Parts: sequence; structure tokens; C-alpha cells
Amino acid sequence: MNKIITIIKREYKETVLKKGFIILTLLIPVLMIGFTIVPALLVQMETDTPSTISVVDDSGLIGAALQSTLNDTLKNGQPKFIFNVIHPGGKPEDVLSSQKALIEKEVIDGFLYIPVNVADSNRIEYYARNVSDFQTNRTLKNAVEKIIIDQRLKSSGFDPAIVQELTHDIKLRTIKIQKGGKETDADFSSEYFSTFIFVLILYMTLIMYGNSIMRSIIQEKTNKVVEVILSSVKPIQLMAGKILGQGLVGLTQYFIWVLVGLVLTLSGGSLIQIEGNNLLNFSAGTLIWFIIYYVLGYFLYSAMYSIVGVATTTDQEAQQASMPITLLLVVPLLVLTTLVKNPDSSLIIGLSYVPFFSPIIMFARINMSSPAPMELILSLLILVGTIIFMIWLAAKVYRMGILMTGKRANLPEIMRWIRAR
Amino acid sequence: MSILDVSHISKSYGDHKAVDDISFSLEKGSVYGILGPNGAGKTTTIRMVMNIIIPDSGDINLFGQKLSEDLKNRIGYLPEERGLYPKMKVIDMLVFLGELHLMKNSEAFNKATSWLGRLGLKEHANKKVEELSKGMQQKVQIIGSLLHDPDLIILDEPFSGLDPVNTNLIKDIILEMKASGKAIMLSTHMMEAAEKLCDQIMMINHGHIVLEGALQPVLEAHGTSSIQVEYTGNAGFVRELPMVETADIYSNYFEVRLKDHQNRNMFIEELIKKIDIHSFKTMQSSLNEIFIRLAGETPNE
Repeated sequence: MNKIITIIKREYKETVLKKGFIILTLLIPVLMIGFTIVPALLVQMETDTPSTISVVDDSGLIGAALQSTLNDTLKNGQPKFIFNVIHPGGKPEDVLSSQKALIEKEVIDGFLYIPVNVADSNRIEYYARNVSDFQTNRTLKNAVEKIIIDQRLKSSGFDPAIVQELTHDIKLRTIKIQKGGKETDADFSSEYFSTFIFVLILYMTLIMYGNSIMRSIIQEKTNKVVEVILSSVKPIQLMAGKILGQGLVGLTQYFIWVLVGLVLTLSGGSLIQIEGNNLLNFSAGTLIWFIIYYVLGYFLYSAMYSIVGVATTTDQEAQQASMPITLLLVVPLLVLTTLVKNPDSSLIIGLSYVPFFSPIIMFARINMSSPAPMELILSLLILVGTIIFMIWLAAKVYRMGILMTGKRANLPEIMRWIRAR
Repeated sequence: MSILDVSHISKSYGDHKAVDDISFSLEKGSVYGILGPNGAGKTTTIRMVMNIIIPDSGDINLFGQKLSEDLKNRIGYLPEERGLYPKMKVIDMLVFLGELHLMKNSEAFNKATSWLGRLGLKEHANKKVEELSKGMQQKVQIIGSLLHDPDLIILDEPFSGLDPVNTNLIKDIILEMKASGKAIMLSTHMMEAAEKLCDQIMMINHGHIVLEGALQPVLEAHGTSSIQVEYTGNAGFVRELPMVETADIYSNYFEVRLKDHQNRNMFIEELIKKIDIHSFKTMQSSLNEIFIRLAGETPNE
């Protein structure tokens, strides 16, 4: 046991102090901050000076109504847009070019050109130094659109106010009923989004840590250190130490990320908000299931990846030989849409018993549809049983194969290792 | 009591018999040399003693008990394929190896530091292993096998890759370990070193023992030895002595071959009665010659 702890310690220390680990661990929170705080800050840092926009209105329909329709204000109370309606005096080309010159000299921020036949052509033009501010573009377009539609309605004998009243949107509120009669406000995007994020993290970290175990076994074989270690520990101890050590590295990384996430949530409100919907809504229960399935999935896949590591001699060989394992991890991603649409379909329920898929699929099911306790227990039992079998298998292969450095082992050879005493 | 008792171990890989019915035993305070050409089965034998490879048949007893994982903490092992973690600091690597042999962290650190000082690596303690030269890494590896003060030390090719100065340093350490009552087993190609260090040797080829026993008797039994004498007087009688097989006599120098090595002293007694001896020299075939003769008879592929 002491020896396993020594190996865990070394594995943990050497990985956690590696540059790659530190960079990745810090980079993810930086990205998280980048995606959450920076947009919020940008919105706050919105300019506090109004945009001055000239309106050249050949049609005579728009200009007058624009300022009253578009009466958005900035935070300091000033209007967001100041419109100068310019009545075309000379030739249209002269007006256009003089306005363009004004934009270049930064006297005005832009000008809106409304052609004579706007009601028929449905086209307007906006000239500005910055035309990629889609919010301004959309605001201007919507304002002009509303004015024109109102006028069309009026000329057809309708009252725009009544029409608006009559064509009002219906709002759909979705309430999720869970086992035990618990009701929560939830909708497709929040369910899908949080499940998707967690599934993606599971998928990525299982591949990442599985691969890192595989590579580290190959490295130990390449630099021959394995024989020195095997002179004082049993192969199963070495393997257990490596798997547990790397697993702890993974948990450390999660812990740091969750901590950063919590700090962000507490300091900056909800993690990711799009139009008022909190897209990352998850409970503490979800988090606990996530950790459980990460640990179980990690044991299963790291045992499988370490078999590949033992049987191969170079990283390239191992990458190729581990493809089937990686494909097993891809399967849950392929059915993810089905899963979100119908988490209780027989396909999904079937897959959630298959140990190679259950870490991801059962986790997603728990998140989406609260499966029956019996289903959960059965799936967990199958998973744990497979893990024990895989670790036994890996230890067996490890014992026989770890000192083979010459060439890549083929399947019959591996079968012989497993049968050997 | 023997430290290590190996009886009739065999190991095959498929049709190939790597080790075939090898037995030997190793005493306290002695150096046992396993000699043999490449591919003879030396490393396989050592790995079986280390319980890394399990023999197909035969028994291995260590310290009077059946070989088990727990006993391995009392063995210091330098494998033929040297290996350290290249990215680890030298001192961390050694402490790790010490801890794997159940040493306390502080104890391992202190022992490692003193060994590093002794082998002239003190200023490299905090460098990464990969920054050291091959020879230095070799010394670090040797420290790793001695750190936990093992009772049995197994060194697979300890001198390969070392310059003469460091070879001598390691020889001294081996002899010092022997003097302090440890049992040392080493495999080597360097016959000269084996001749100077080993009390017992075993020469194997194609997995078989071709030669085994205490060094001197082995040399005498398997080497051809001749006696060269410088003298004054009349040496004609030498040819007639009963213990002499052949004699080649000149006016003040002769060379004889005795029928039996044990008769050397009796032969000298006869000589000093009749002639004045200026020098007496026994020329023995070296282990090297024996090795080349025995290994050369059936070359390995």
C-alpha cells in the first residue's frame, strides 16, 4: 500500500507541476472568464455619447417619424441616436458625397439614405465608418420597418395600434415534471445546454486522461525505467498507482475549474446568460453525479487505454491502436440529439446499460429525465463489474507485456499474456 | 546459510529455451559472477531472481524463504537496461526509489545526498536526470540500487558505459559491500573485472551452465597452465620427475606443464633440492581465454 502511495505521489507531483497541465488548467478558467465577464463588461462600457446620424429622406415618409419611433436612451439619459433630417436640396449625388465627407471627417457617425420608392422597393441604405455593429444596424432597420408598416396599415384603413394588439405573440412556459412531483421551470435550451456542456467535459477529459496514462506507460517503457520500478513493486501496484495518481490530477483540475466557476457565478451573476435565460442551470445533485461518472468512466477507460499502452511501443502506434476506444466514447455524442429529444426512448435506455456508454449516457439521462432507481443501480452495477474485469485484464496484460520493448504486440500475443499464469 | 538458492530453474519463450536447468547459490560476503555471451540467458536468469519473470519450473529461495514480493525490498537491483525518469530531479528520483523500498522520505534524502557526494555528483543533485551525461546517469542508477542498504545486490553489467576512473570507483564500492557482509551477484562481459572481483563464477551459454564454481579452481581446471622457471644449475632431472607431463629445457630457463595442479608445491620442493631458482612463474589462461574458447565453440546467432 505504501508503495502505491509513493507511486501516486510521484505521478501526481510530476504531472501537476508540468507546464502543460498548469497552462491548460489556467487557460480554461481564463476562457470561461473571457466568455462570461468580458461581454458583460463590454455592454457596460457602451459609449455614453449619442450617435449622430444624418437622415437623407427622398421619400419624405420616414424622416419626421424616426426620432419619435427610435427614442432609446443611453444610461446617462441622453438619447442614443440624434437624427438630423436633411432635405435634399440639390442633386442627390451631391448630398450623398457631402454626407460621406462628413462621415470621413468624423462630424457625423453615419447617414441613412431612404430612396423615393422605399415603400415599393423595401430597400434603404446606411453609410457609416463602422457597419459591423449589428445592434445599431438592426435597430435602424426595425425602426424604419415599423414606420413603413404603420403607414401601409394606415393607408389600408387599419389602426396600427389595434393590429399590434391583435398580432401579439403567445409566450410558452415549459415546466418540467420530475419523479416525486417536483416541478421546475426549464426549457429545451437550458436542459440541452447544461447537459451538452457536462457531456462534452466528460468526453474530453476521459479521452485526455486516458491518453495521458497510455503515453506515460509507453514513456516508461521507452526510457526503461519500468524495470527499475518493477524490481520493488508488483505490476498491479504500479498500474494502480498510475491510474489513481492521474485520476487525482483530473479531480484537481475539475476542482480548480469548479472553484473558478463558483467564484464567477457568485461575483458576476449566472455563468452564461442569453436573453435572460440561464443556460447553465444545474443542481448540486448533477455535479455529484458528474463526479461519480467521471471517476467510474475514468477507471474504465484508463484501464483500457493502459492495455493499449502496454501492447504498443511508440506514441504513433498507440494513437492508431486506441482508435476503437476513442470511437466508443464518440457513440454517446452521436446519440446526444436523440437523447435530448427523447431521453426515455428504448435506444437510449438500452445504451445506458452498456458500460462503455453508460458513464456519459446514464449521466445525461439523470440530468434530463430522472430514471428509476432500479435502472440506475443496475447500470451502475454493470459498470462497476466491467471496471473490475478491465482492471484485472489490464494488470494481467501489464505483467506480461511491460518488459516487451521490441515490437508491437498483436492480438493473439495479448491473448497469450492474459492466459499466462 | 546461503543468501540466494536457485535450483533447476528453466524458462522458455515459445520453442526457444532461454534458461535451461540452472542452479547456483550465493553466500554472504561473496561476489558471484554470471558470465556469458550476449543472449546466453544472463538477464533472464536475473529477472527470474527478481520475480519479474516467473520461471516455468524450478525453485528460488531468498534469505532461506521462498521468493516473494516482500523479500524484494532487501535486494538492490541494477537492471541491464538502465532507466530513470528523464524529467525528474536527480535527488527526487533517488528519494522516489528509496521510498519504493519502504525507506522514510528523510532517510532516503540523507542517504541519497551522501551517496551523491561520494560519487562526485553533489552539485548535480538538483538537475534534471536528462541534463546529466550517460556515465553520470549510470552512477545515479547505481546509487538507486544501493540506497536502501540491501543484503543482496544484483548488478547487471555494472561497468558498461563507464570510463576507467569510474569503473574503479564502482569496483571499490563492490568490494566494500562484500567486506561488509553483503552478497553481490553481477553479470558482466568484462572478464578482467570478473577475475579481480568474483569469488565464484558461473559461465552460461545458450541457457546452459558451461562452467561453475570458485574462481581459482575453475581457472585451474579449465585453463591450461604452464610453469616458467629461470635457474642456474643442471635441470636435466626435471624431465624425469613423476608429476611433470611435458618439459622444455634450456640452459638457464625451462617451461613445464604439470600433470596435476595440486602438485605444484611438491614440484618446487624437488627443484630447490637441486637447482638455484631465480624466478618461478605460473602462467594461467585468463578467464577471457576460457570465455572465448567456451563461447566460441558454439557461436550465438
